[in-house]
Amino acid sequence: MVTRRDFIKAGLLTVAGMAIPISALEMFKPEAMASLVRSFSEKKRWAFVVDTTKCVGCGMCAKACKLENEIPFEAEVQRTWVERYIQLKDGDVIIDSPKGAREGFTSNDPYGHEVKDEEITKQFYVPKLCNQCEKPSCVQVCPAGATYKTEDGVSLVDRSWCIGCGYCITNCPYFARFFNPVTNTADKCTFCYHRITKGKQTACIDACAFGVRKIGYINDPNSEVFKIISSKRVAVLKPEYGNEPHVFYLGLDQIVR
Amino acid sequence: MKMSHAWRPVILIVGAVVFLLIFRTIYVPGDFTAKSGDYKYQWHSLKNEKYWTDYPVKYMGQEFCGQCHSDKVEKIKASGHQKVQCEDCHVMTSKPDKKHPVDLKEDFKYLLEIGVDSSRELCKRCHAKLPFRPAEYSESSKGTIKFNMIDPKTHNAGIECVTCHDVHTAGFK
Ligand code: SF4
Ligand code: SF4
Repeated sequence: MVTRRDFIKAGLLTVAGMAIPISALEMFKPEAMASLVRSFSEKKRWAFVVDTTKCVGCGMCAKACKLENEIPFEAEVQRTWVERYIQLKDGDVIIDSPKGAREGFTSNDPYGHEVKDEEITKQFYVPKLCNQCEKPSCVQVCPAGATYKTEDGVSLVDRSWCIGCGYCITNCPYFARFFNPVTNTADKCTFCYHRITKGKQTACIDACAFGVRKIGYINDPNSEVFKIISSKRVAVLKPEYGNEPHVFYLGLDQIVR
Repeated sequence: MKMSHAWRPVILIVGAVVFLLIFRTIYVPGDFTAKSGDYKYQWHSLKNEKYWTDYPVKYMGQEFCGQCHSDKVEKIKASGHQKVQCEDCHVMTSKPDKKHPVDLKEDFKYLLEIGVDSSRELCKRCHAKLPFRPAEYSESSKGTIKFNMIDPKTHNAGIECVTCHDVHTAGFK
């Protein structure tokens, strides 16, 4: 038989359990309700293009990013980094990114072992950064409301609200997040939000002399990224996760992980 | 009339919900809201977007340096190094070995440490011959040109590249 005490206990537990979804529902604000029916497509949405066929692995982008965004230069964390892929004749693939390529690739010795030209079938460089996903898992898992996506599609971290639990860091399928040793919060590429909203390019784009990186509105027919994405063969990393990344790669090889 | 005994727990539970809603209103700052999209993604402090748009710009490129060094910038724009930004070689990641004569931080709100990195290591980042490094450079206004690469082991090893090469014209001194 259900006693009165049990009934109240169960009732209060239900309320406590409901507390989480309830606090996520902003039911009294009309603009919040309106936002539910407004579609994403009418809005300007940032996207990025990386042309891996042009990248030489100089790492100037990684260096510029560290300086621009005040990520301590010597720390082993970076918002953008460059990976080197070497496919050997015996089928093995070597992937390395020494110091996130902030000092560039200057010799062919991944992990200190020289690789001879005749052993290689192909080799190339793949710059990586946060993909500013349309459905960012990092935002979804944040229990504090510290990670969010702006209306124009960029995911940002609120440094005053981040509790440093690291949930987002382990949840990003692209390993784009890290723990900033200075602010003690989660950190990641912001697409240089402070620059693109002022009409500038990101620091990594400016630093790259090879035209590998490009940014623009994906839904503006005049933007270069729109033209590339809509007319060329592009690919995104790990589409199977359903995050809908907005960094598009030209010349992406199937050995890229 | 005597209240049914079932009402009391119901009142208690409704009270708990009301308390929770009131507590939330007080505890969560006013700018904490769902701006767009669905709730699970967009619940955040709107003020923070301003924090990020106000973040200072540091890496300024040729345009900024050209305000004083127009001769250098014109030279480099006419050379094979036309798309190399001043900061790629002139910004120091460690202590600057040569200070800029004008206080850039005070006078121009330019926020990086200026010096000159004329090391061989820096040039090698683009010019060391590595397998499958793109052999052609397509970003030049002169059309596609051959990308100059050397083998750092055999090409005048031990000497700084700037001994013979002028980086601003991308030619010989
Ligand atoms: S790449 Fe990772 S950090 Fe960036 S938006 Fe997607 S899930 Fe979040
Ligand atoms: S570390 Fe910060 S941003 Fe990441 S999930 Fe936790 S609170 Fe959110």
